[in-house]
Amino acid sequence: MKILYSLFSRRRFLNGLLAGLGTAFAGTFVGPVVRFVTPPYREPDEVKLPLAGYKDMAPGEVRSFPWGIKPGFLKRRDDGSFLGFVGVCTHLDCNVAYKADQKKFFCACHDGWYDEDGRNIQGPPPTPLRRLTAVLEGEELVVRKSEA
Amino acid sequence: MSKIAAWFEERLGISAVVRFGAQKQVPLHKHTIWSYTGSAILVFFGIQVATGILLAFYYRPTLEAANASLERIMTEISFGWIVRSIHSWSATFMIITVFVHLVSVALTKAYRKPRELTWMTGALLLAVSLFFGFTGYLLPWDELSLAATKVGTDIPKAVPVVGEWATKFLRGGDDVTGDTLSRFFILHVTVLPLVLLLLLAVHVYLIQKLGMSLPLESEIRGEKAPGMSFWPNFVAREAAVWLVLLGLLITVAVLFAPSLGPPADLMAPAPEGVKPEWYFLFLFQTLKLFPAKVGFVSGETIAVLLIGLGALALFLLPLIDNRPETRKGKIVAAAFLAFLAYALGMSVWSLL
Ligand code: HEM
Ligand code: FES
Repeated sequence: MKILYSLFSRRRFLNGLLAGLGTAFAGTFVGPVVRFVTPPYREPDEVKLPLAGYKDMAPGEVRSFPWGIKPGFLKRRDDGSFLGFVGVCTHLDCNVAYKADQKKFFCACHDGWYDEDGRNIQGPPPTPLRRLTAVLEGEELVVRKSEA
Repeated sequence: MSKIAAWFEERLGISAVVRFGAQKQVPLHKHTIWSYTGSAILVFFGIQVATGILLAFYYRPTLEAANASLERIMTEISFGWIVRSIHSWSATFMIITVFVHLVSVALTKAYRKPRELTWMTGALLLAVSLFFGFTGYLLPWDELSLAATKVGTDIPKAVPVVGEWATKFLRGGDDVTGDTLSRFFILHVTVLPLVLLLLLAVHVYLIQKLGMSLPLESEIRGEKAPGMSFWPNFVAREAAVWLVLLGLLITVAVLFAPSLGPPADLMAPAPEGVKPEWYFLFLFQTLKLFPAKVGFVSGETIAVLLIGLGALALFLLPLIDNRPETRKGKIVAAAFLAFLAYALGMSVWSLL
């Protein structure tokens, strides 16, 4: 069948083609740029600490250590083993402080509180502090991300 | 002299612009006073550009040097303290005038047809101004600015789907680091000024094209307001206001120079009494009050979605209030006032 008049002018076709190609061309740059502006994750998988700095901790005592570029805390359990926390509030990411006199972690940003085992007990924090496992390997204390 | 002027006139045709300004009428009526707010914002923005460029001569946007470079500006560089103080106070003055401008437009309903896009570009200008303040607050890199930025950049995370990425993008990674500082600096000094100027161009173009609005009642009654020529009559009056504001700004800047806390330490706990800039206090207080969980959903997510919804409603206000002279228009005005009261109340509460 022959259509007697054009449904689509040559001008419109070419404009559409050009715009489409232009968009596709520009689109190929979006992915790389988006990836460029979001760098990879940098939290450590594990941190090795000299045991000497933590051996003398009494049961129940809490001490800080550097978890990569974030603060971490180690608590000595009653059986002598260690329990680790990432010292970063689960509400909106502020660094928490350990208040030894009250045996609680405190976040000054919106008055959030955690007990000595990192459980959120008051204020806006929605979940407990993230836990880390700490195991003795020779003269080193190796702190790792918890599986669970 | 007149030959030189004629030479330029032949090429630039400036007299057309002057004629346009003389022709343009600013209507005189009971709401005219609010027309002064727009140009006041421009004055403060101009001051931000000038003082910001001066600061950038000595400021160093790196983790190690940022705080020390500001200390140097404050203590060693001639007039450094006042340049910083003016930049910091003019930011506050600018945002106050943006708020006043916006509220006056909302309450006089000057956004009504055909000025919807003028309002929307204005709402975006508010967002850009707030983002200016937010990025600027990190630059001194002291304890307070670090804590405020950690919280502020963590907030998008609560948004479903794109939130995680937005937080990563703002921070330049999963955490606030030196990369965040570089990013905020470049946003603050190049990206935001360009975006602001672009939006401003559209905003001002629309204002020229559509002319100044009349009060709603006069428009309904078909009245005409007496007018005043924009150039030079109205501009001269505006200039008087600018001088008063400038005097006020400099007085405040001299008397209350901003402080500089100890350098931020990524490992240190957040300092007690953390507070964001005053224009974010109502959000801060809202976040503090929201419980950890509402039903199954985190309180944060609900708070953030509510805030987002509020922002969207503000942006679309002229479309929502499409029949301003009817009962619906009154309800919209009441809702706007209620929101204003909420924001003010929360801000005051956060300071108690
Ligand atoms: C082209 C424009 C601008 C440039 C080049 C610029 C540059 C700078 C620089 C270098 C700093 C770091 C020094 C300091 O912290 O005092 C800074 C800080 C800051 N800027 Fe800007 N700025 C510009 C516009 C603005 C605007 C429009 C606003 C707000 C509406 C703003 C708000 C701030 C704030 C709140 C600070 C922190 C002030 C302080 O704590 O001392 N800036 N700016
Ligand atoms: S960030 Fe810790 S309570 Fe909000």
